[in-house]
Amino acid sequence: MNRWVPALAALAIFATLVALGWLAPEHLSDSDMSRKLLSWSEAPPFGTDRSGRPLLEYAMQGARVVVLPAVLAGVAVGMMGVFGGLLRCVGDARVDTVVAGFGEVLGALPRMVVILVVATLIPSTARGLLPLALVWALLCSPGAMDEAAAVSERLGGARFVEALRAHGFSWNRIFLYHIVALNLRPVVVRQACETMTQVTFLELALSYLSVVKEVSSFTHPDSLRSWADLLNIGYSSLVVPNLGTGHVLVTGLFLVGCVVLFARLGSYAARAR
Amino acid sequence: MAQVLLEVDRLRIGGPGRVIVDGVSIVVEAGKVTALCGPSGAGKSVTARACMGLVDVQPGLIGGTLRYPGRSERDWFKDHLNGGARGMVRLARETETMRGGYLSYSPQAASSALNPGRTIGRQMEIAVGRREKAIPANHLAGLIVELLAEVGLAPHVCSSLPGELSGGMCQRAALAIAMASAPQVLLADEPETGLDPVLRRQVVELLLSVGKAHGCGILLISHHEDTVTRIADSVVRLVGPVQAP
Repeated sequence: MNRWVPALAALAIFATLVALGWLAPEHLSDSDMSRKLLSWSEAPPFGTDRSGRPLLEYAMQGARVVVLPAVLAGVAVGMMGVFGGLLRCVGDARVDTVVAGFGEVLGALPRMVVILVVATLIPSTARGLLPLALVWALLCSPGAMDEAAAVSERLGGARFVEALRAHGFSWNRIFLYHIVALNLRPVVVRQACETMTQVTFLELALSYLSVVKEVSSFTHPDSLRSWADLLNIGYSSLVVPNLGTGHVLVTGLFLVGCVVLFARLGSYAARAR
Repeated sequence: MAQVLLEVDRLRIGGPGRVIVDGVSIVVEAGKVTALCGPSGAGKSVTARACMGLVDVQPGLIGGTLRYPGRSERDWFKDHLNGGARGMVRLARETETMRGGYLSYSPQAASSALNPGRTIGRQMEIAVGRREKAIPANHLAGLIVELLAEVGLAPHVCSSLPGELSGGMCQRAALAIAMASAPQVLLADEPETGLDPVLRRQVVELLLSVGKAHGCGILLISHHEDTVTRIADSVVRLVGPVQAP
């Protein structure tokens, strides 16, 4: 398949999520019990909750919580991957040793435990997904750097650079085009997309934890709702039959599915010829 | 006498306490083969790279002249002797326009010097683009097929990635890419590396026939003394690193 089809589809999903987050209301609408638990067809696009509030508002607020931190984390991991790949092409053994040491230390840390510790250390007034997403990106970066470095190694590292220099290419052209754009791109984009998905799931997990434990959210102000709220409300329909919240669960899963689909399409587009 | 295309005189490359290349002089003439041979570590590749204006910061350039008489009478080393890191970077930048055009390079271990993320055809298009900027697409495709045929490769190789080709085919493809920019001087850095004896002979003969057909001068780097004495018009022998006085 041509790379443009998945790339445009991924871009469309991304643009929709950004627009949802951008247009998200500060607070949910007032409750209207006459409209409670309406289905997708009765109150498009997603129906309403038990208080008659549109699930679209949950979707928008959830997108607002997750999109920016996920994108920044993805970009950070991508840049670290590029850095790791380029470093291998430069071929300096001392720098390689320092970077390998950095990777080993970070790689040895249990990611989820570190995130929970950081989440509890951040004062409640300053809580947000962004610092957690950046810590997650930092913890993911050794893997991205290693994988990109392996690609550079397969290219021939410094020898490949030398061959391109001998063909008269400038440094910029060699590093930015031949190495990053042509060879590191599939790895870096996949790592970035994976990190974005992971940050989304991280937000869901932490929000679900705070909902279940009835404590302030670790990832967003209490005025906002996360997609985890949709999953939590909808989950009850699996436990208690005929509760009428099945569409809420489907809405939550649909939104998470969009993020996963975006990541898969992005990765595919980056590696397609 | 054939036209001199590349002239290196009394080249001296080294650093504190050691001289890697000392007093090497090379002349490459149109339609002729000059061989640069010597044992491993003698400085063949360092010399070849210096012929292209590429000298590492350590060791640096400490003596000699480099001229491309087919283009101009300028001594490219003149302002950069003992120039340190900045001097070597400036030298590389100044000679950038010569590489991939006037000078072309067929690398050692071609499979690791070809871009694995681009098809052979696309890599040849880029190389041809250095010779002629605005070339009609149908003419370009024909030219690429012609170049591939010269090195004994079928047209379908255009759409192959380097990883899909054998070592010998990669070497042929690298030679076709090197010739795509219609160079006047071709530097072939141990083109027989990693090939079996039969393939080695074929690749070297191919290199000679293609180079002579295009009328370019060839600087052949090799550590196979028997190969170079058989085919080269002149031979420059390197002995290895020497201690600085």
